Amino acid sequence: MNWSAFISSYIFAFIVLNVMLGLMAYMTYIERKVMAAMQDRVGPNRTGPFGLLQPIADGVKLLAKEDIVPKNADRLVFLIAPLISFVLAPLSAAVIPFGGTITVFGHDVNLYVADINVAVLYVLALGGMGVYGIILGGYASGNRYSLLGALRSAAQVVSYELVLGLSLVGIFILSGSLSLVEILNAQQQPLTPFGGAIQIPNWYILSQPLGFVLFLIAAVAETNRAPFDLPEAESELIGGFHTEYSGFRFSFFFLAEYINMIVVSLMAATLFLGGIDGPIADGVWWLAAKAALFLLFYIWLRTTLPRFRYDQLMGLAWKVLLPLAVINVALTGLIRLWGLGLL
Amino acid sequence: MSAEVLVFDILGAVAVLAAAGVVLARKPVHSALSLVVSFVNVAAIYVILRAEFLAAAQIIVYTGAILVLVLFVIMLVHPEDLPEFHGGRPIQRVLALILGLVLLGEVLAAILTRTVVGQPGPWSEQAVQAVGGNVQALGQVLYSGYVLPIQATALLLLVATIGALVLARPDSPRVRRVARDTATISLGHPRGADGANGVELPALPPVAGDRIKPETGERELVMAKSGDDFLDQPVWGERRRS
Repeated sequence: MNWSAFISSYIFAFIVLNVMLGLMAYMTYIERKVMAAMQDRVGPNRTGPFGLLQPIADGVKLLAKEDIVPKNADRLVFLIAPLISFVLAPLSAAVIPFGGTITVFGHDVNLYVADINVAVLYVLALGGMGVYGIILGGYASGNRYSLLGALRSAAQVVSYELVLGLSLVGIFILSGSLSLVEILNAQQQPLTPFGGAIQIPNWYILSQPLGFVLFLIAAVAETNRAPFDLPEAESELIGGFHTEYSGFRFSFFFLAEYINMIVVSLMAATLFLGGIDGPIADGVWWLAAKAALFLLFYIWLRTTLPRFRYDQLMGLAWKVLLPLAVINVALTGLIRLWGLGLL
Repeated sequence: MSAEVLVFDILGAVAVLAAAGVVLARKPVHSALSLVVSFVNVAAIYVILRAEFLAAAQIIVYTGAILVLVLFVIMLVHPEDLPEFHGGRPIQRVLALILGLVLLGEVLAAILTRTVVGQPGPWSEQAVQAVGGNVQALGQVLYSGYVLPIQATALLLLVATIGALVLARPDSPRVRRVARDTATISLGHPRGADGANGVELPALPPVAGDRIKPETGERELVMAKSGDDFLDQPVWGERRRS
């Protein structure tokens, strides 16, 4: 076993995890500020300069609250459900490449935690597991509204994960790999259309526009964000699966949702927008800028669109998105075969 | 190597314990949860065996989709409607014992008559590396030598899906057309017109003059004071089995 590589990736994982947690806290602040601006309000501005200490105040408040377990609850499942959500959320960040290999103190350090050859499937698998937090939390609360939220979540995630996976098959066909590092490398070769007159980056948003749109829609649904936040629809389900949760267990669900948003944004930036690739100097700042774009898009969606009705949600997934995703796969495959001269 | 064996032992032990939990748990949801733990541990064993694709597929398909649907069904069923799992029923218990012993015998026979040591196949570590990795090697094998079995499996699944759709289809087309042509009962609540299995109940003959043509949609609305006039069961409240 290569111990120095193991330790360096362990340290890097520690840094990534902590950066994610910090970002998550300030993501709530940014979301409230941006939403306030969009809705012509002020937003948090009392705690610290510009309200910058608001996330810390929120955290302290949630920690200090009483942790209530309802009498009707399935106690063990009720207690572990938020932990499942929270633990699984940041694990996806382990396969996202934040850069190439750099040399620190004579050691080669990879700017990714792990380059596994099924990285994209790993992220999808974690997404599929993460839903257990919501389903079990809703079931264990012993509350009809929570149960309804859990049922909605089960149906929604199964449907949209299909779309999410199929929307990425085009990328797999083009890059010939499921590893995020190799997908990133494949995007860094410049394309030279029109006989080399101009050079454009080989970002997959250019060759997979339909896949990109499908991925974006399915990702919003997968992270339970508005307008797909049916499992927690507060106007009909009083908060859905987290109705009965209080204190820090509630905030675990909350944290998981925001970490999932950040991870999905990083994924979208890496898969479709070339990740760390950018003009002038490649680097993690380009990835951050692209991910920030997606996060702002999330907030923009939430302030703009009303929530879907449940049958519309399922109809959209099965009657519109899934056929489009299959068409995208077939078209990409045909074009790839034609490009290889096999058709 | 010994570390790998140790990890395998731990994972295997947890998988077996969780599998025991599936049959020992009192609540069906706890059984499903134990099955999740067992599946995840088996997936981890695949990872030790360098079968990452199989591990990811196991998690995505079994824990991410199938078990979610199982939980979906379990949560929909009232606990009191479930059969008694740990109660009497002597015939079933004896049958279960016999069938279990037969299954155990089959598994033992399969294990004992086969040996894991044999001629190594064509996919050595170098050969896998040469085509770019595990996933690529698997893909090449599946889509060159095993095209026919894959297509046959796909066809079988398609037939099963269509069969399920046919079985779940509520009525003959004629009945459905009639149901579609009848009006929607509007109580400000969608349940007013829904019967069992998602079938829309045809509205009873309305009193003249209380139908309105809505601005959107093509179905006429029947305005009613109470859904009880149109349904056998009370519209509000729990739907109880009589």
